[in-house]
Amino acid sequence: MDTAWPPASVEAIEEISEGISVLTYKPLNVDEILRSVGDDRAGATAAFIGTTRNSFKGKIVTRLDYQAYSKLAIKTMSGIIRSAHEKYSDSAHKTAESPVMSIIHCAVHHRLGTVPVGEPSIVIAVSSPHRKEAFHACEYILEEVKLKAQIWKREFYEGEREEDAEWKANVS
Amino acid sequence: MSSESNITVLYFAAASTATGLTEQSIALPQNPFPLSSLASVIISQHPNKGLEKILGTSQWSVDAEMVDDPEKVLLKGGQEVAVICPVSGG
Repeated sequence: MDTAWPPASVEAIEEISEGISVLTYKPLNVDEILRSVGDDRAGATAAFIGTTRNSFKGKIVTRLDYQAYSKLAIKTMSGIIRSAHEKYSDSAHKTAESPVMSIIHCAVHHRLGTVPVGEPSIVIAVSSPHRKEAFHACEYILEEVKLKAQIWKREFYEGEREEDAEWKANVS
Repeated sequence: MSSESNITVLYFAAASTATGLTEQSIALPQNPFPLSSLASVIISQHPNKGLEKILGTSQWSVDAEMVDDPEKVLLKGGQEVAVICPVSGG
């Protein structure tokens, strides 16, 4: 029997003008998340779906557990969305007469708890008038979340004791 | 001991597995107390659990704000301090 999730690893939502960050124990609904960034001004929506894969260095993964320091992680995620907006606000499509908002809306949803193999652990969606900014912002948000968000993953392998399951580190 | 000079330490991931705890109230030896000395206090309360290595590679947060330079931070009673092990979200 594994330990209960830390009391600080709660569900959380933070919505800012640039987008929404969500931590949830419920399965992620990709369609809903894509729709949530929809806008008539958008010509492009870029998405990233991170799924639990079944192997790591030849070992079979039986499950992944995620926990977060939610109060801090959600602030970090909002900060990343804000940075993405600022970073990609300078667009080649901008003219003196019509300033273009390059990123319209971002959504970053991360699942907590046990995520079965094949299911999404993170979904990022970004809408933009143009595809270049949408793709770039989506990738930027993913890399920043992996680097900074106060979220931890534990991988359980077939044939190994649960107590020995390691907590992973994105950057060692 | 006055509870006003206690801090709440939150453990996650490897720190939680090693200590067997998700949180702990720790009495500060002095108030204020340098954050850079907190690791030894934690290790002395949890000897032989591999915490030297874990705390050595971890960062800290105080009241849900990441600490850039632990040498500059003084802890006061009532604060929430978290051990932030290398993250693995996404």
